[in-house]
Amino acid sequence: MREFLRRHPALPAGLLFSAGLLLAPVLTGRGTQNDLWNMAFYVVLASAWNLLGGFAGQVSLGYSAFVGIGAYTTVLLSNAGWSPWLTLPVSAALAVAFSVVVGLPTFRLRGPYFTIATIGVGEAVRVIASGLEFTGGSSGLRMPAGTFNFESNYYAMVVLALLTVALVAWLRQSPFGLSLEAIRQDIDGAEALGVHSTQAKLQAHAISSGLVALAGSLFAMNFQYISPGSVFDFRLSLTIVLMPIVGGMGTIVGPVLGALLFSYLQIKLLASPTLRDSYLFIYGGLLVVVMLFEPGGIVGLWERLRNVRLRRRTPPVAEATRAS
Amino acid sequence: MQKLVVVALNSLLTAGLYATMSYGLAVIYGVMRIINLAHAGLMMLAAYATFALNDRFALDPFLSLLVVAPAFFLLGMALYATVIRWLPRSSAGPSMQSLLLLFGLWLVLQNLAYAIWGGDTQSILTPYTMSSVEFFGGRFGVPQILVFAVSILSLVGLNVVLRRTYLGKAIRAVTQNRDAAMLSGVNAGWIAAVAFGIGTAFAAMGGSMLSTLYAFTPDFGRSFLLKAFCIIVLGGMESFTGVAVGALVLSFIENFASAYTSIPVSFQDAISFTLLVVVLVAAPGGLPGLWRMLDRRAVAR
Repeated sequence: MREFLRRHPALPAGLLFSAGLLLAPVLTGRGTQNDLWNMAFYVVLASAWNLLGGFAGQVSLGYSAFVGIGAYTTVLLSNAGWSPWLTLPVSAALAVAFSVVVGLPTFRLRGPYFTIATIGVGEAVRVIASGLEFTGGSSGLRMPAGTFNFESNYYAMVVLALLTVALVAWLRQSPFGLSLEAIRQDIDGAEALGVHSTQAKLQAHAISSGLVALAGSLFAMNFQYISPGSVFDFRLSLTIVLMPIVGGMGTIVGPVLGALLFSYLQIKLLASPTLRDSYLFIYGGLLVVVMLFEPGGIVGLWERLRNVRLRRRTPPVAEATRAS
Repeated sequence: MQKLVVVALNSLLTAGLYATMSYGLAVIYGVMRIINLAHAGLMMLAAYATFALNDRFALDPFLSLLVVAPAFFLLGMALYATVIRWLPRSSAGPSMQSLLLLFGLWLVLQNLAYAIWGGDTQSILTPYTMSSVEFFGGRFGVPQILVFAVSILSLVGLNVVLRRTYLGKAIRAVTQNRDAAMLSGVNAGWIAAVAFGIGTAFAAMGGSMLSTLYAFTPDFGRSFLLKAFCIIVLGGMESFTGVAVGALVLSFIENFASAYTSIPVSFQDAISFTLLVVVLVAAPGGLPGLWRMLDRRAVAR
């Protein structure tokens, strides 16, 4: 048991936190629940992105496209008379289909070229969504009246967040997760060992985009109004990427920590009139600092500090035997 | 026929500007193998600098280039010395780390502009902004023609520097083979600093000239960054001629698509984004790579 806890130091805290989230509607007021909803929303986005960006190392800057697809599917179908809950599987399916359409050409690109292409894809989707008739153009769309129910939406979002984190954690130690890890370390080496890299990337992209689209659908149901400026915004793509990077790419805890940090920052920043205009500075500054000093993010920093402490405590001989 | 000539001339005028704004990206990629995402932020900042000079001192936007370009050259060198230099160097290709770092820099620059000038849309009005001249049966805006002239001048000047001076030869040497250049006594670190300065100065010239044609906000520059990237990919990433050819190809495709097809104006930016993805996927070597491939096939046959 102790061994198990030593290997998963974040598990008890995570379980306690999850229990707290599920009990929140009984224990706290509406304001706190709104903040927690926001937090869960970001946890879904960050953890799902991490599956492709962190595990497989394919940094995509176009994820707002999937939030948008989810949100628009839900609003358009609800306006056509569907129950909003029934639109969830449709929006996930559409996002998965789109992820394959985008992934097939772009996954032939490597590293930064893939990243730049995803900026292009995200921008093209936004430009087209603002120009089309049935999406309401740049003025956006409204959900039909009477579809708003915060309580059930809150539970749905929290459950989605918990499921996402559990799924990602489970995938990481599965053979599929290991093949993604191999792709990140050395794509040619992974291919040589029999990993079908394009297929693995497409699967990771599909899973994560489906989860992100579900979050987008719940976003639309909670805010009742969407526009290309809110769900296809480049800044949203940016936030999705920043959370796992600051927390620690490729880890389970990192994106969650990043999401908690960012939703906290966002709440604080929006509340203060002087800081509201400086969020880009804070985001950009964080990105520069993380990339220069600790590309492993918060988790990387924590591990580095722990290693320093361990090395100080263990005598050199013991360390030598440990290493061998 | 007459429409064809007018559209072609329009494309040519746009291509000059496109080449200037893309060249900065290409020189930095060539020498350092990094993709400068902060390029967009630097263009935006230069647009605001031009705006400020015009607003405060009534300086003509084209004359202000004489102030803005050297200032941004120094800014680029300073950025190199403080931030870029500390990135781990990768010989294989641009690293994710450098891309994300420069992305962060872009955000910081954007916020700087928000803090100083606010988020309102700004534009520069000069006495000749609205005037135009007529030839070949088409009307061409005076700013557009001036932009083209300045672009050509700056590109010719740059070409002379690259071909005739030690500095230019050193830059080209490091672009072709960094290790060999260092073995022949080129100070690659210094060349990288100068190249980053030149790249920044060209971003600034592009931004200043864009500000005479378009309105801008601190969010300005993203679509132009993607266009510039599309151009240098088309041009094969590092050669000077490649950038010019890429700029011509993109501006011809854009102008002809909007003149002869029913693609609405609001989708015009989507053309370059799509072209970017298509080129990256189908011809990663750009037009030179495509040309070499076809050439080899012809020889083999």
